[in-house]
Amino acid sequence: MDGGTIELGMADLLIATLLVAVAGGVSLALRLGLERRLALAAVRTVVQLYIIGFVLKWVFQVDTPWALVPVIAVMILVAAREAVNRAARRYPRAMLDTFVTLVLCGLLSTLMVTQAVIRVDPWYKPQYVIPLLGMILGNGLTGISLCIDILLERFSEHQTLVEMELAHGATRWEAARGVLREAVRRGMIPIINSMMVVGLVSLPGMMTGQILAGNPPMQAVKYQIVVMFMIAAATSLGCIGTALLAYRRLFNADHQLQSELITKMKRP
Amino acid sequence: MPRNAKSHNGPVLSLREIAIAAGGKRLIDGLTLDLHSAELLSVCGPSGCGKSTLLRAIAGLVSPTEGLVLLQGSEPRAIGWPVFRRRVVLVSQRPVLFDDTVRENLARPFTYRYAPSQFPDTAALALLERLGIEPERWKQNALSLSTGQQQRVCVVRALLLRPDVLLLDEPSSALDEQSAAALEDTISRWVREEGGSAILVSHDRYQVARWCDREVDLRDFRAEQN
Repeated sequence: MDGGTIELGMADLLIATLLVAVAGGVSLALRLGLERRLALAAVRTVVQLYIIGFVLKWVFQVDTPWALVPVIAVMILVAAREAVNRAARRYPRAMLDTFVTLVLCGLLSTLMVTQAVIRVDPWYKPQYVIPLLGMILGNGLTGISLCIDILLERFSEHQTLVEMELAHGATRWEAARGVLREAVRRGMIPIINSMMVVGLVSLPGMMTGQILAGNPPMQAVKYQIVVMFMIAAATSLGCIGTALLAYRRLFNADHQLQSELITKMKRP
Repeated sequence: MPRNAKSHNGPVLSLREIAIAAGGKRLIDGLTLDLHSAELLSVCGPSGCGKSTLLRAIAGLVSPTEGLVLLQGSEPRAIGWPVFRRRVVLVSQRPVLFDDTVRENLARPFTYRYAPSQFPDTAALALLERLGIEPERWKQNALSLSTGQQQRVCVVRALLLRPDVLLLDEPSSALDEQSAAALEDTISRWVREEGGSAILVSHDRYQVARWCDREVDLRDFRAEQN
C-alpha cells in the first residue's frame, strides 16, 4: 500500500474533533441529553483505536504467530460478550456458547480466506489475519445477537406452543426446529441485505480503506467480494452454531423445555 | 383400541409418592394413585393447589420434585418421552393451536417421528362433527374459531392419537351447556368403547359428579407448609 496515502498529524485530528462537537451541539440545542455519552464515546473511540494501533504495531513488528493469539482471543471475547449483551434475554453459559461458535466459525472463515483465496505468506501475516477476522466478528456478532434474541424470545413467549408439540409426542428437536429455523433466518437477514445494496448505497469500510490507501478500485472490489462472501459464510455458520448450542442447553434429555433458564436482561 | 391397553392387567397409569413444587413452594406431597383402564378420575382442590402443575408433571413437561409416574408399570424414560407423551396426552386449559387450518392443526402430531399412524382424515371429521364443529370449518384458520370451538379442536387432536390416558385440564371451561354435554358424551364413549382412561381437572362439581368414577382431593396430599 504505497503511494497515495496522505499522512495525518495531531492538528488534523483536532480539527476532526470539531465534527464530534457538531453532534454535541445538536444534542445541546435539542436537549437530547446525549452530550456526556457522546463525549465518553468520543474518548473511547480515541483510546481504543490508539491501543489497537499500538498493539498492531507490536504484532506486526515481532512477526511470530504467537503474538496473534492474545489479540485474537481478546477480539473474540469482546465480540461474544457484545453479541450476548445486545440480545434482550439470556440463558446460562450463553457467553461461552457464543465464544465457542465465534472461535470456530471466525477462525475457519479467516483461515479459508487467508490460506485458500489470498494465500498470504507467511500464513499468519497479521496485516491480513487481524482485519479479516475483525470484519467477520463485527458482522457475525450482529447476526448472532439477532439470532439469540429471536430464539430466546420465541422459547419464552411461545412456550405453550412448543410444549403443546411436546405434549403430543414431538421430540425436542421436532418441537424446537421451527423456532431454530426462524432464529437462524433472522440472524442471516442483515448480511443478505447488505450484500443486496453493497456498492449501490455505500462503499464498505474495507474497500473505502483500500481506495483511500491508493489501491486500484478493481483490486479493492475483488477484495470486497471475497470479504462479503466470507462474512456471509461465517454469519450463517455462527447463527446455526449458536442456535444449536442454545437448543442443547434449553431442552433436557427428558425432552422438556426449560424456559425458566431464560432471563430478561436488565437495561440501564 | 388404545395401544397395549388390553394386554396389561394392572393399572394403566400409576403415580408413586409424587411431590410437586411450583415457584419454589412445595404444593403436593406423597401422592400415590392408580388409574385403571376405562376409568375417569377427577382431581379436585382449591385454586393454586397444584392441579394443573400435577397434570403437567404427569405429562412430563415438568419434573415432579419426587416420585415416579409409570405407564403400565414402565418408566417414561424406558418407553421414551415422546412415545410416553403420545400415549398420555395433555389437553391444557387454554387452547393452544397454530396459525394454520383446523386440518393442519389436527394433522400436526402425525408428522412426528413417533406418530402412531397416518393422519385419519375421516375419523377427524367425524369427531369434529360429534363435538358440534361443522365440517366446513376444516379448512378455516383454527385461530379464527371461538375459544370454545378451539377447545374442542384440541380435544379432537388429542383423541385422534388414540392415547391410553387423557389429561384434561378444565376441558369445558369455555363451552356452553350443549357443547359441554357433547364433549362429555364423546369422552365417555371413548372410555366405554376403547377402554381409554382420563384424569380430569374441573371446577364444575356437577360435571365431576355425573361424569367421573372416582375423585381425588389434593388437600389430602397437601405438603406441610413451612
